[in-house]
Amino acid sequence: MNTGGLVLVVGSLLSAASAFIWLALRLENGPGHKKPKNKQEQEALVTDAAKEDVEHIFNADFREELRNRGRLHFEKILSENAMFLQQDLRETTAQLNEYMRAEITRTLQEEFKKYEQSIVDAKQIALQSIEKTVTTIDQQRQFLEQQMQAQANAQRDRIIERFENEMAAIINHYVLRAVGDQIDLSDQLEFILGELEANKQAIIEDVKSGTS
Amino acid sequence: MEHLRLPNTVISPIDVARLLRELNNLDDFFVSVKNRQAGTSMQLPKLSRQLDQLSHDNELNLLDESHRAGLNQKLTKIYEAAPKMHISFASEPSSKPFEDILLWLRKNIDPHTLVTVGLQPAIAAGCVVRTSNKLFDMSLRAGLERQRPYLARLIKGAVDGR
Repeated sequence: MNTGGLVLVVGSLLSAASAFIWLALRLENGPGHKKPKNKQEQEALVTDAAKEDVEHIFNADFREELRNRGRLHFEKILSENAMFLQQDLRETTAQLNEYMRAEITRTLQEEFKKYEQSIVDAKQIALQSIEKTVTTIDQQRQFLEQQMQAQANAQRDRIIERFENEMAAIINHYVLRAVGDQIDLSDQLEFILGELEANKQAIIEDVKSGTS
Repeated sequence: MEHLRLPNTVISPIDVARLLRELNNLDDFFVSVKNRQAGTSMQLPKLSRQLDQLSHDNELNLLDESHRAGLNQKLTKIYEAAPKMHISFASEPSSKPFEDILLWLRKNIDPHTLVTVGLQPAIAAGCVVRTSNKLFDMSLRAGLERQRPYLARLIKGAVDGR
């Protein structure tokens, strides 16, 4: 209900009250008062008659009729005001709903923004952490790779060295076994005599020192 | 005193010792011949091929006591003072090549060189000569051992692809 409606309701109530007050004052000065026998009495009679007429006019039925009318008018006013009030209430509710929706939307948007920002921050932190982890893992991998490469090289060198040594021994052993039973002394004679010739001086010296 | 020419069949100190023993037996035989009674039977000693060749090579008459005594003296001296060597082969040496080796030793080292033969199958080929103080490894095994660094270099080159 707006202000105009309230003013109308209050104005109507005040006018009805004024009418009742005016009627009460008129009835108090009506035909019930004794008139002087003279003119005053006549006037009194007239007044009484008027009062009686007034009473006839504003009898109980008329007052009841007026009450009904007033009640109906009051109810009409109340109904209209209720309608206005309902309309205003509906509009207010709609506005309130709109306001609430807007507020909620704004709040939610703000919260969503904060949430998105939090997600972005968390994502950034996670990315930084992942980058650090990746960097650490990469360093570890490089370190391990270097270590493994060094170990592999050392192992390879050891294997090659062992292979060279063992292989030479294996070949020697194989040659010894392979040719041991195959070469006759006559085939070796030239070699043996050559070796003896090469060691001749040493043998002679050792023989002389042994016999002296 | 003239040097005794040792035949190629007399190789080791054992052979010389056997000759000495045989020579002593021969002396004993002749002593017993002198002291035997007439008509008693006697068995003639058989000379070994080595002693026979030794006496032949040195133009000695073993019936002559002085020759036997001289031979005994020379053999004893050889047994005691001749250079002794121990030669190991991978397998039992055949006679002819070994005779060549013995000849070379007696020609180049000492005419009375005595050689003991041994076996070392591990040396594969060649021989190992051991004198009184030294060891001369003339085997294929030693040769391969000496060439081992070269073989290792060859293997390494093959592994490295060079």
